[in-house]
Amino acid sequence: MKNVLSLVAFALLASCADENGTPRTYDNNDLELAVGNSARMGCSCMFVMEMDEAYCRAWVKASPDVAKVSFDVANKRVQSSAFISWAATARFVDEKKGCILE
Amino acid sequence: MRALLVALTVSSSFALAQNCPTRATWPTTEWPQNLATGKDAQIKALEDFAFTIIGKDSERLGYRTEGLVIIKNGAIVYERYARGFDETKRHLSWSVAKSISSALVGVAVKQGVLNLDDGVCQLLPDFEGTPQCAITVKDAITFGTALGWQEEYEDQSYQVSSVISMLFGSGHKDQLRHILTHKLVAEPGKRWSYSTGDAELASALAKTALSKGHGKDAFWKLLFDPIGMQRATFEEDARGTPLGGSMVFATPRDFAKFGYLFLNDGCWNGERILPEGWVAASTTPSDVFVATAPEDEKTPSGYSWWLNRPVPSQNKPAPWPDVPEDTYAALGHWGQRIIVVPSEDVIVVRVGDDRDGSIGVNELTRLSLAVTR
Repeated sequence: MKNVLSLVAFALLASCADENGTPRTYDNNDLELAVGNSARMGCSCMFVMEMDEAYCRAWVKASPDVAKVSFDVANKRVQSSAFISWAATARFVDEKKGCILE
Repeated sequence: MRALLVALTVSSSFALAQNCPTRATWPTTEWPQNLATGKDAQIKALEDFAFTIIGKDSERLGYRTEGLVIIKNGAIVYERYARGFDETKRHLSWSVAKSISSALVGVAVKQGVLNLDDGVCQLLPDFEGTPQCAITVKDAITFGTALGWQEEYEDQSYQVSSVISMLFGSGHKDQLRHILTHKLVAEPGKRWSYSTGDAELASALAKTALSKGHGKDAFWKLLFDPIGMQRATFEEDARGTPLGGSMVFATPRDFAKFGYLFLNDGCWNGERILPEGWVAASTTPSDVFVATAPEDEKTPSGYSWWLNRPVPSQNKPAPWPDVPEDTYAALGHWGQRIIVVPSEDVIVVRVGDDRDGSIGVNELTRLSLAVTR
């Protein structure tokens, strides 16, 4: 079933492929994206949406669920890391501009 | 008394000169309340549909509505929050932001600092000399840039998603460059393809045009503050590019004010904020959609608004068959909605966290209208 889903996904992606018919891939890996997602969205959740930490931890959870997220409420920063090599930080700027992923 | 009459006359004349609708009150500070009465059955049907968490919360199943506000004749007739939200809490717009970004382009056109036919490199000279200079402002607000963008989300491979790479990966520090380094796969204006990159480009163009005369807070000065979106947040990347495809935050009541601006032809309390004809153009299927949208895209779009209009040339009926044909909507990931029904003077704002398939516009609107009738 998983193979069938993968084929369907590939077929869908082919519809937005480049002129050579190959979907573009980006220079990211899943861990980099996981920590970037959880830092940015965690910051916005906590300091823009002003939800509590339990809600925000659940809200930013993504697959693969490898990111360790820490909320620095005093400095309005959120750090996320995965294993040794991957880390990201987002910080709250102000009420108008919300959070920035550094 | 005489001075008051003169002031009222001048005010009315100004509104007429701007060709603006008049209203008894404007919700700039607060929405009046006129809660629906005698509608218990209709409210139960709406809530049975919209508030349907299934199983454990951590399983993320069902329609996880976090806020639902219905406005009729300029007053709140229904409002409910859940899952820790209330009327003071801002909620993420996701792609509802695209409709806001296109409106900001409208603000810039009204201010005389932007034209729909302008090429992007007139405003963004860093990209001068590239093929992407052929993209116009209008292409950016109609999903017509023809950039080879791959609009994929968390349910697909992350490595091929232009959006995920832009927001969280290699593109996040300079998102405008990430967008405009995608190759053109057709002539701009000749290929419709839904794109967060197009909308973010539109917001960058609006900010560049408006900030010259109105400063870096031009979005607030010229749009959010005049209509009372007091707590609107519009996030940016580290270079100051507004993330206008996805990252706007506001309370549901404030999102309803944005809907009310459109319901009132782009005017607010006698002041024209959007150009005359802008709302009509925003809510008419765009030329690029009509000519080139793929068969599986059933809902036509205008200036980044989704429309309940048929497209006869593509044999597409109106996509939401149980609600008036003049209905249009700003739609976002995980079920964010601002739905406007001009013929019934109704706005429905719904925010949520649907990870299990986003809530349907047709049913949500049908059940909401039943509460208002």
